[in-house]
Amino acid sequence: MNVCFLNKSKIKNLMEILLEYGRVFSSMEAEIASNRNSGSRIFIRELQKDQIGDYSVPGFRAFDTFKSFVLPIRSCVADYPSENWTDIKEAKERKVLFGLKACDLVSFSILDKIFLEGPDFIDPFYKKRRESLILVSSDCMYSRDSCFCNLLGYAPYPTEGYDINISEIKGGYLIESGSGVGSKILQELSLPEAKENQIAERNKTRKKVTEELEKRNSVFAKAFSKPDIVASKTFDSDVGWDLGSTCVSCGACTNVCPVCYCFTLFDREGKKKEQYKRYMVWDSCQFKGFSQMAGGMNPRFSHMDQFKNRFYHKFFRFHERYNTYKCTGCGRCIDNCLGDIDMREVLAGAYSEKVK
Amino acid sequence: MDNIYYPREATIKDIKEETPTIKTYALKLNKKLTFKAGQFMQLTVPGVGEAPFTPSSSPGDVKEMEITIMKTGRVTDVLHEKVKVGDSLALRGPFGKGYPMDKFEGKEVLVVGGGVGLAPLRSLIYALFDKIEKIKKVHICYGTKSPLDQCFKDEYKKWESKKKVSVNLTIDKPHPDWKGNVGLVTRLLEKNYLQKMGVDIANSYAVSCGPEVMLKFVTFKLLDVGFKPEQIYLSMNRRMSCGVGKCARCNIGPYYLCKDGPDMCYADIKDYPNVFG
Repeated sequence: MNVCFLNKSKIKNLMEILLEYGRVFSSMEAEIASNRNSGSRIFIRELQKDQIGDYSVPGFRAFDTFKSFVLPIRSCVADYPSENWTDIKEAKERKVLFGLKACDLVSFSILDKIFLEGPDFIDPFYKKRRESLILVSSDCMYSRDSCFCNLLGYAPYPTEGYDINISEIKGGYLIESGSGVGSKILQELSLPEAKENQIAERNKTRKKVTEELEKRNSVFAKAFSKPDIVASKTFDSDVGWDLGSTCVSCGACTNVCPVCYCFTLFDREGKKKEQYKRYMVWDSCQFKGFSQMAGGMNPRFSHMDQFKNRFYHKFFRFHERYNTYKCTGCGRCIDNCLGDIDMREVLAGAYSEKVK
Repeated sequence: MDNIYYPREATIKDIKEETPTIKTYALKLNKKLTFKAGQFMQLTVPGVGEAPFTPSSSPGDVKEMEITIMKTGRVTDVLHEKVKVGDSLALRGPFGKGYPMDKFEGKEVLVVGGGVGLAPLRSLIYALFDKIEKIKKVHICYGTKSPLDQCFKDEYKKWESKKKVSVNLTIDKPHPDWKGNVGLVTRLLEKNYLQKMGVDIANSYAVSCGPEVMLKFVTFKLLDVGFKPEQIYLSMNRRMSCGVGKCARCNIGPYYLCKDGPDMCYADIKDYPNVFG
């Protein structure tokens, strides 16, 4: 379908239509007041009807991730002894996610590889949640210090995986659909086609942000040309990895990561004997107990082995299995690290003669 | 759609005490199940949790299976202390690939167990017995701390009485009731002992299961006496939660032990980090 133009004042019409499809969860910019960090921040919140009037699409990714819409922090995955129970109302409920950036879309395509890997091992809960989503993405209007999607081969604007994509230009938005649902929604809006100069303006912004990223990350480009080899071949070395000595194993990096999916299962007793519910909860390879076995033996005992494992999984193990890196380059792990650890610096530090 | 996290029901038919800390649970399944030697099950104690175990009984199409369990953690404590005959448990699985039975045809198989590690190997031993006409020899080497810690004690004689099968036992430290070998299980893998057993190293596979520290020294000893990494299979039964290669805690290199193992060829894993912890 062609690219259309949506006048800024008409974004509320789009929102109204989306709200008819289901609850809308959107990234939105809000002022926060705190002693530590005042200013505006972009969060994901449920969009209320009365907020539609003054909503504008943020130009940058949200602080938190959309991961929890497909992998809740804690979710029930078995209700013993009801054999056919895979039915959770919440999972089937249609939801619209709004304001995803290219990195957020990539995260869904990466998670799909794991949880929809068939034919025997499809996660029915993930599948239901995933199918209930309508994804409305938008271009990045600027980048920040922690952004590095370009190093993983991605662009700062969506290229696939969206139902609707929105690109901000002067006076409004360029809007295009990427799926059947998307086209249907756009038809309801009956919008004029975008003019050539408007598309040129969009492409100019896209180019500007891309160049900004390339410049910012040029020093890391070499290490990221083959991060799988860096992560696997330098495992026994300390060079570069010593930056991880400030890691406090808090697990923030894996929690805010849009593609860190490691989880554990635990059971809770039910009311009657032999009744119980099984829950899937987020876990983190950065926690000491992650691989610890009964009896106390732990194959990844040392702090450094745990620290390296995150890189090893993201860039080597996952790449071997799925032929893609388990990283979107969103930079949330960098923003949230208590130890001020930058993944790019670690890999660039570890990259040495050995790798070439 | 099947729920990969949902277990099937199983009832306890019998509990047999092997040692003060190890019991064998005979389970009756609610429907037939097919498993291969080395494949593992996720056993649920209702309301307590799930833990991975490899069955110790004969593989194949079964309606009953035995699982031999050592008391060593949260789930196994409850199994040992509270669970009785007639109680209902639950199972998921089988998971993993199991032992490469086809490769063992026409070869000698050296089975090296330590402690409760003989449990999965007992399943393998039965599978080897089932096709013993295609196997050259089966040498069973088993080490425990003391004679009191030996599992399946009453079966050794039966095993040994079979053609082409030898059973070799050792205990870690001298014990008044013990007249056999003393020393770690690696002692049975010394060159002169293997010669005594009549092992043709070039024509053998070694399969080992036990604590990881034992696997480490068994592997080094086997390499030392002339086994190639390709001839060594190790049961790497690490902590597992999902069983289907998703939760990502049981891996060595690019392999997920729950999906690609848990029995790994040493040649495949030797160059990756944290192989023996």
